[in-house]
Amino acid sequence: MGVVRYEGLPFVARFRWNTGKIMEKFYGGFAERQILAAKCENCGYTVVPPRVICPKCSSKMNENNLVKLDGRGVVLSYTVVRKKLDGKGGFVTLDKPEVIAAVKLNGADSMIFAKIGDVDVEDIKSGMEVVPVWAEKPEGRLSDLLYFRPG
Amino acid sequence: MKVAVIGYAVSNLEWDAEKTREETVFEVAKSALENAGVSREDVGTVISASTDFLDGRTISNCMLIGGSGAYLKDESKAEEDGMYAALYAAQRLMAGVHDIALAVSHTHSWIFNPHQVSQYMLEPWFDRQNDLINGITLAALQARMYMEKHGVDELDLAEVCVKNLRNAAKVPYALRKLHDITVEEILESEMFSDPLTELMIAPPCDGAAAVVLASENVAEEICENPVWIKGIGNSCDNYLRDRDLAKLNSLEIAARKAYRMAGIEEPFREIDVAEITERFAHQELMAYEALSFCREGKGRVLIEEEMTEVYGDMPVNPSGGALAGDPICATGMIRLIEAAKQIRGEAENQVDGCRTALAHAQWGLCAQKNLVFILGDEP
Repeated sequence: MGVVRYEGLPFVARFRWNTGKIMEKFYGGFAERQILAAKCENCGYTVVPPRVICPKCSSKMNENNLVKLDGRGVVLSYTVVRKKLDGKGGFVTLDKPEVIAAVKLNGADSMIFAKIGDVDVEDIKSGMEVVPVWAEKPEGRLSDLLYFRPG
Repeated sequence: MKVAVIGYAVSNLEWDAEKTREETVFEVAKSALENAGVSREDVGTVISASTDFLDGRTISNCMLIGGSGAYLKDESKAEEDGMYAALYAAQRLMAGVHDIALAVSHTHSWIFNPHQVSQYMLEPWFDRQNDLINGITLAALQARMYMEKHGVDELDLAEVCVKNLRNAAKVPYALRKLHDITVEEILESEMFSDPLTELMIAPPCDGAAAVVLASENVAEEICENPVWIKGIGNSCDNYLRDRDLAKLNSLEIAARKAYRMAGIEEPFREIDVAEITERFAHQELMAYEALSFCREGKGRVLIEEEMTEVYGDMPVNPSGGALAGDPICATGMIRLIEAAKQIRGEAENQVDGCRTALAHAQWGLCAQKNLVFILGDEP
């Protein structure tokens, strides 16, 4: 096109985030293969991952509001992903499509978005029950929760 | 204080635009002022809409001050869609501070893939760490949730695309003009994240838009056919983990507020045309319901019965909507402009006898935030 394009900035910004106390506990629970939620004392809304302000009634919450979920959940919706972002602004076509689902965990009022594995994409249905699949040696990190599978 | 739209301009919608952002904004700002018959000196306040993270620079309006003629004037910025800039500008006029306002908006999407950038809208500790979650995959989850709840199928989504892309064929500035497009071609276009194929996803592109607003003190003096803002409603929903994705609750609330302000009791009967921001095909059907054009779950009936075609009882997106070209921050403002054109009788796909029009803008993942304007030919 004959137009000069300036390529990128002279630095890469990889932002770091302070997770806060309640999210530290949430990740910590992963070491015990446990998913923690926060239950609001005022309105009863249970949110996962836990938050320090109730998304429904804005009451203050803290570590004392944490409750253990059994980890089981139900698929509310799912999508077979054929194209994924590569982190640099490009779309890559996946050789093997991957599935993500909106999952309502037992005991929670909010939903989470999670990868679904160990299943043929044709067999996935809304309403399907799923359970978490954990890393062999969980260390209390986000990466411990590998995906969910039918169960 | 009543406020009217008295001038407007839309740039060509394209990909990899050769013009700089400043040039594009300059051109639409200048054209809109000419269209309104006013000069830069007449303008009291200039409000812009652009987004730092899509622009790849902070304070994204700072380089647009020259282009929009805002230097040494009352100037401010609304992040997000240009219709929010129009809302901000209208509020400045309603407050009686100024008589004429210019609102401009732009995005150049070629700079960096906006879908990659919008991952930064995700909560950072959990959702953003999942490399499969982005605006498109989340919209796909929303689509399936809505479709399964109400028995909507892929054909209904494709019909929305066919209608809008055929309408766009007559619109000079549109990006996707597909006069002969068929349902089959929509369904066979590349699959991104099922059920959403490429042509069901609004294509991010480069473009800008501008509107000139005037208070009732001066509107009729300056302009022969001012288009009056009769109602405004705005609402923002919860973060997407905490809301029912199968329903556009915040749009329903925004519409209800706008209808109340405009005195509209039966939207289907009283509104002649609607220009809405459907970033994904299914969102147009969801919007029919949230705007009370039909009952919940009946959106597909409107498209199946061709009621939202230009010749139908409730025309929606005669301009082609966002599916015909999505210059992100300018997309909703273009809907406002197209709604105003319908009332002036200047639209390419003109609806006969149009006196009341609705314009809608959205922002956020799965249309988290929604803004509705009702326009009319009388104050």
